[in-house]
Amino acid sequence: MTASTAASGAVQVIGGLVLSPLLPGLIQHWKARLQGRRGPSPLQPYRELRRLWNKSTVDVAGTTVVYRLAPAVIGGCLVAAVGLVPVNAVGPGLGVGHDVIALVGLLALARFAAAASTWDVANGFSLMGASRDLTISVFVEATLLLALAVAVMLTGTSNLLGMIAGTAGGAVWSSPALPLGALAFGLVVVAETGRQPFDNPDTHLELTMIHEAPLLEYAGRDLAYLQWAEAAWHWVVLVLAAQVFLPHPRDVWVQLAVLPFVLVLMCGALALVETFQAKMRVLLAPRLLGVAALAALLGVVARGVGGS
Amino acid sequence: MIAALCWLASAAVASGVIVTPFPGQWRRGLGLQAVGAAVFIVAGFASLASGHAVGAAFTSQLTPRLGVDRLSGVFLGTLGVVAAPALAYSSRYLDGSRRGRLVGALTGVFVLAMAALLCARDAITFLGCWELMSLLPAVIILVHRDADAESRRSVFVYVAITHLGGVGTWVAVLLLAHAGALGTAGIVGPGSGLQIGIALAALVGMGTKAGLVPLHAWLPRAHPIAPAPVSALMSGVMIKLAVYAMIRVFVDWLGVLPTWFGVLVLAVGAVSSVGGVTYALFQHELKRLLALHSIENIGIIVLGLGACLVLRAHGEDVWAALALAAALLHTVNHAVFKALLFLCAGSIERSVGSLELNRLGGLLRRMPWTGGAFFVGAMAIAGLPPLNGFASEWLTLQALLHVVMSGQVGDGTAGAVALAALGATAALAVFCFVKVVGLVLLGPPRRAHVRDALEVAAPMRGAVAVLASACVMLGLAPGLLVSRLVAIAPWSGDAPVHAGLYVPGTGSLPTVGIAVVLVVVTAVLTLLRGQRTAPAAPTWVCGQSVVPALNWSSAGFTKPLRLVLEVVLRPRREIEVRTHGGVVTEVAYEGEVPNLIDERIYRPVARWSLAGAAYARRLQSGSLGMYVGYLIGLVLVVLIAGRIGWLG
Repeated sequence: MTASTAASGAVQVIGGLVLSPLLPGLIQHWKARLQGRRGPSPLQPYRELRRLWNKSTVDVAGTTVVYRLAPAVIGGCLVAAVGLVPVNAVGPGLGVGHDVIALVGLLALARFAAAASTWDVANGFSLMGASRDLTISVFVEATLLLALAVAVMLTGTSNLLGMIAGTAGGAVWSSPALPLGALAFGLVVVAETGRQPFDNPDTHLELTMIHEAPLLEYAGRDLAYLQWAEAAWHWVVLVLAAQVFLPHPRDVWVQLAVLPFVLVLMCGALALVETFQAKMRVLLAPRLLGVAALAALLGVVARGVGGS
Repeated sequence: MIAALCWLASAAVASGVIVTPFPGQWRRGLGLQAVGAAVFIVAGFASLASGHAVGAAFTSQLTPRLGVDRLSGVFLGTLGVVAAPALAYSSRYLDGSRRGRLVGALTGVFVLAMAALLCARDAITFLGCWELMSLLPAVIILVHRDADAESRRSVFVYVAITHLGGVGTWVAVLLLAHAGALGTAGIVGPGSGLQIGIALAALVGMGTKAGLVPLHAWLPRAHPIAPAPVSALMSGVMIKLAVYAMIRVFVDWLGVLPTWFGVLVLAVGAVSSVGGVTYALFQHELKRLLALHSIENIGIIVLGLGACLVLRAHGEDVWAALALAAALLHTVNHAVFKALLFLCAGSIERSVGSLELNRLGGLLRRMPWTGGAFFVGAMAIAGLPPLNGFASEWLTLQALLHVVMSGQVGDGTAGAVALAALGATAALAVFCFVKVVGLVLLGPPRRAHVRDALEVAAPMRGAVAVLASACVMLGLAPGLLVSRLVAIAPWSGDAPVHAGLYVPGTGSLPTVGIAVVLVVVTAVLTLLRGQRTAPAAPTWVCGQSVVPALNWSSAGFTKPLRLVLEVVLRPRREIEVRTHGGVVTEVAYEGEVPNLIDERIYRPVARWSLAGAAYARRLQSGSLGMYVGYLIGLVLVVLIAGRIGWLG
């Protein structure tokens, strides 16, 4: 194993498993600043996790193993996803491969576990959130696959190592395909991280919750797992955005060095979007994603026409 | 050796069929049938592994011939994998009445007809078995339901559509035999009118039998009313034999088809997969919902087949073989989990007496075996790792990605649309099966009698447990099967053997690695969380008390999507609110998502046909003189035509 592989493996594991709660922390912090509040420190998610870790919990009566296992399964999915997404073009194999389609499957399993648990507790508000989340996911998944298809088409592989290497440098940005794919993926990022205009992470009104609602019946360590998983979800999609759908350098060491700055910048961008966008009606979200899907499809066509 | 095994299996099933009608012996007869079906598993997969064809080769002559090769082997093995548990299950599911015994015997005949279709090596045996395979389920349904009004109507629709559409199969096979191309590639010229004609006829004829949209209307009617083991055989195997026939015609016998035909197959697959799963989502009866999911999964299989045809037309032989392997892997996988789900549905019906989703609930605690197996099947059909449905959907998605990569603008875009369709299908399937497991297995029981549901008898539990473990094993080691399936494409050689899917040009799918990470991390997190000390408390719903009447329903859970798709689906709903003195006393809700193809295509066609028949009836005056006049007129026309030279 070369030094660069070892270093990128370390960044991947430490960043994904340990530092990922910083991402939602930073977004909340800057959002508060942009709105003229002092807001919580970026470290707030860690304090939350510590508080939850030491709390006792109460099970919901009449539930089955599905409710009890769901947070651990979601945690497992996100650990596997963190292992699957390399941070540069020479990331080590951690036993789960580097295939981007496999990543889509892992995220689907996490979504399934969360939604199944809502039926188990039979809480109407949780079910409402799950039902909305699954509705939006239909359109997110189609758009995500189209955006990924653009990148796969340009790089000739669905291996993330090859995709990161293939989209590095400036040459690939000369055709309109990748910018269009990036536009589509950008909207997928906003939807997958549960940000406005798709969802409002700050809401405390059960009727408007989407991502938060399925967690209503969890507390203590279960909730800690779920909140960590939410943060790791941010890490996975933002790393993917930075290293495939945004311009990045060819050199693997520079790729590693630049990544933290790009991640921080994207958190800032998400905070801006959150500040200037109002939440849209949940039934209108598919239209926005439909536009994104069309953009990605145009990317596929653009490459075909350009013949590059 | 393989031939001997096939004969042995057939003999065992046949003797089981003979024994089953006798009152004291019927369980033994079904057991014997199940053993025979299990021998089919060995014979089929041995033939796939050995790679040698046994018995006769395909012939365009009309003399009966039998033989087995790799492609027949996969399907024969799949038939066995479904039939053996289904027949063992029947021994408790059916009762000892005359009707039950007859259904048991006919099920065995149905299995034999399908096995014979797979071994047929000439046109006449093939078409004969094809018809037998289509008619036997109709007979079984009529016997099982005692020919009540609903079953007669459904069987009529089934027989009418499969035979009207099935003409295409006859046209295609007989044209191939006439051209001498049955079993020999390269006789029908690529791009010739004959090739296109045969391909289109086969797509219509076999597509009808497979249940592809828009020729699927019989499927959601016929499958739910059959007894559960026969539903499992119909959804698991019978419709797959149409895929078998399509692979024979498109891949083996017709040579390289033009690209546009591959794109057409992709389009049919995409419409079937999205359409099937969308209507399944708005369905509230379990067996009907599962039947609609068969349309979805046939669509996914056909997407793989279409990708194979497009890639082959581009000369991408390696990926064309992989796309075919993806289609075949999904065929095997779907057979396993769909049989599992139908058998579980049968157990639930036996135990609870209803399959209305809104009247079940909480069965995972009450029927842990059936419920657990059902949960595994639901995750597999939703395409979730680490189960088998995910592996085959992954390979199909990869094949479609290669269509996007290798194609020109037109077919590349078609591939991208198919890719998005498959992505949406997978997400919709997750949505649908979250709803199903939620309403059937989880939460509080929604009716009093569900509370007292009991687990079913051992053979019924065993059958579903075997199928559930097959889902897990096929999910862990799909590579073992894929390495053999790749070699089925006539232009392809053997592939290296792995447990996972290691394919160049992809990030590969180390199925075992993913499963180990998921299981280990889940176990560690569960241990770290520790045991609860506080007593359990009821669900917190903002301080209200939990009222069973406020439980969520199937229609409620899918409402957001129904509203989003309102423009396309045109759902109907009626709400009637009765008030008494300003107080609402009763609310009646009725909602339905009508099937657009039924309403927009079948109904007008039926109406026009009836109107046309009414016109034609005017010719039938009933007077003898009129008919003699018609005859004389006809003779005159023929004579004149002969005189002018029109008749050649």
